Amino acid sequence: MAHTAAVLEIAAGPQGPVGVVRGDWTVMTLAGLAATLAQQRGQLAGLDVGGLGQIDTAGALMLGRLLIPQDAGTAADPATGDRISGDHPSAARLVREVMARACANPPAPQPPTGLKDILERIGRGVAHAWQETLETLGFVGQTVATIGAGIKDPRRIRWIPTVSIMESAGFNAIPIVLVLSFFIGAVVAFLGAGILEGFGATIFTVELVGFSVMREFGALITAIILAGRSASAFTAQIGSMRMTQEVDAMKVIGLDPMDMLVVPRVIAMVLMGPILTFLAILSGLVGGIVVATLQLDISPALFLARLQENVGLSYFWAGLVKAPVFAALIAIIGCRQGLEVEKDVISLGRHTTAAVVQSIFMVIVVNAIFAMIYLELDL
Amino acid sequence: MSPADAITPTLDVAPERLAIRLRGVANRFGKTTIHENLDLDILRGETVGVVGGSGTGKSVLLRAIIGLRAPQAGSIEVLGQDVWHASQAQRSVLDRSVGVMFQDGALFSNLTVKENVVVPLAEHTELEGALLDEIAMLKIALAGLPGDAAGKVPGELSGGMRKRAALARALALDPQILFLDEPTAGLDPITAGRFDELVNELRSALGLTVYLITHDLDTLRDACDRVAVLADGKVSSIGPLDYVREHAEGWTREYFSGPRGRAALG
Repeated sequence: MAHTAAVLEIAAGPQGPVGVVRGDWTVMTLAGLAATLAQQRGQLAGLDVGGLGQIDTAGALMLGRLLIPQDAGTAADPATGDRISGDHPSAARLVREVMARACANPPAPQPPTGLKDILERIGRGVAHAWQETLETLGFVGQTVATIGAGIKDPRRIRWIPTVSIMESAGFNAIPIVLVLSFFIGAVVAFLGAGILEGFGATIFTVELVGFSVMREFGALITAIILAGRSASAFTAQIGSMRMTQEVDAMKVIGLDPMDMLVVPRVIAMVLMGPILTFLAILSGLVGGIVVATLQLDISPALFLARLQENVGLSYFWAGLVKAPVFAALIAIIGCRQGLEVEKDVISLGRHTTAAVVQSIFMVIVVNAIFAMIYLELDL
Repeated sequence: MSPADAITPTLDVAPERLAIRLRGVANRFGKTTIHENLDLDILRGETVGVVGGSGTGKSVLLRAIIGLRAPQAGSIEVLGQDVWHASQAQRSVLDRSVGVMFQDGALFSNLTVKENVVVPLAEHTELEGALLDEIAMLKIALAGLPGDAAGKVPGELSGGMRKRAALARALALDPQILFLDEPTAGLDPITAGRFDELVNELRSALGLTVYLITHDLDTLRDACDRVAVLADGKVSSIGPLDYVREHAEGWTREYFSGPRGRAALG
């Protein structure tokens, strides 16, 4: 469908200026005439459509607006069609139909500008963050209460979904946890070797790898992987169930979403978190041993002997104790964000992002709290 | 030939009078055959209501016609253009001439109603600024939505308003053919009745051809020139509602003469 350009010429008429319309007046051609249309809006007494080609509703609206400006157009005036002369199969009728329905453009909302608006946005942001913190804490309490009820009445705990989640969120994460902490252990060994060599104390690489991997990196790497992998998955799973009203259906049937969705995930993560952390610690140490053997001429036997002698088991436990706490936080945040999802796609995306960001944030904050506690305990 | 005496799937009229022309269309999913050797002609300017039991492939046929799912055999022409053998440029012209309202609206949920209507306009035309806004607002008004709905996102609208918003977007480029997938499903009878009126009004005001899938007997009675019944993989019966009812067999008979059919059609 080829279009010819829309043309508007002004001629003098008995009641005032008359627009002589030629060419096609459709959405495809009107852009070229935008300036003229804005200028002539409401200025014309009549229209001659004898030379008009194709016309659509957009073209008809523009023709109508030439006769009646927008303000008057609110009170629709079907008589507009009578001021149109010339022979055209549909123009006059279409203009009449369109003008009878057209309504005024509502004023666009003012985009926020100025200092007051900026302060207002900051205030809202702070209030929102505080509200989020309170609600998350409330949700933690609710989850603990539900688990407590589950301990009192073990039949309430759904073991089948729990085990299934242990597999998908825990067992399936083993390869990535092993690989990442292997590299972290190796990098720490390299880093330590480079610095300690200057003091002729290369052998202390063993302590460096031992302390850092056992107390910090094992638990932290695992937690960050779980936050990226499982917090987002929990939010997406529960969130899409919210969008399809499955969660509502559960409530109506008398199933508590806390029992059905949240508790199995929290239990699964609390059980799998320490196992993954244990594997991460082993893999990190192996990474350190490999670098020590190949690069620093410290044999695996020597490495392990020094590890036992100088690092000791307490560091291992200090790291492992953090794992279930991190895992519970990640599961709770993921589930809570999922239950917050509303019916639109955007909120699903927003809450999934929030789940990952909040859980990584919380893991790092709680890790710092652990560090302070350990400091006080002289560990 | 007027819709009133077009009682066969294929019509003996000049090709330019046809809006949609299907010949020998076959749709299969693996070993399941949905349509086999299906013919259908739809005249320009008429409203055809497509009915059929669950699983008779009403939506599959619609998806084939609007170019979303290729049929396994047969030709599909829309406005004289073969949908599945069109060049990129021809497809683009076709996309502009066809408006589709999906069953659940399929509005972009992160955009306001007005922005939803602007999407096709901004993509296919050079309109911008105030003119673009004004035309978008016209489409919203044509679909029967109040002006203050324009700034809302789909999540804030009721089901009936969402359907109207979807209709406004389908009308954005002044299509020649409007496809409506269950336009009144899920609406209360009063809202559904208004929607039927709206479709009628738009059709007479804009000269649209309307292809609508429906289960709603009231819509068939109030808004459709012809009714096409899909059964046994083809158009088993087509014609004005009264004709189809008189010559109904099998599923169609049950459909029209069941308690609901009698209540709606008398």
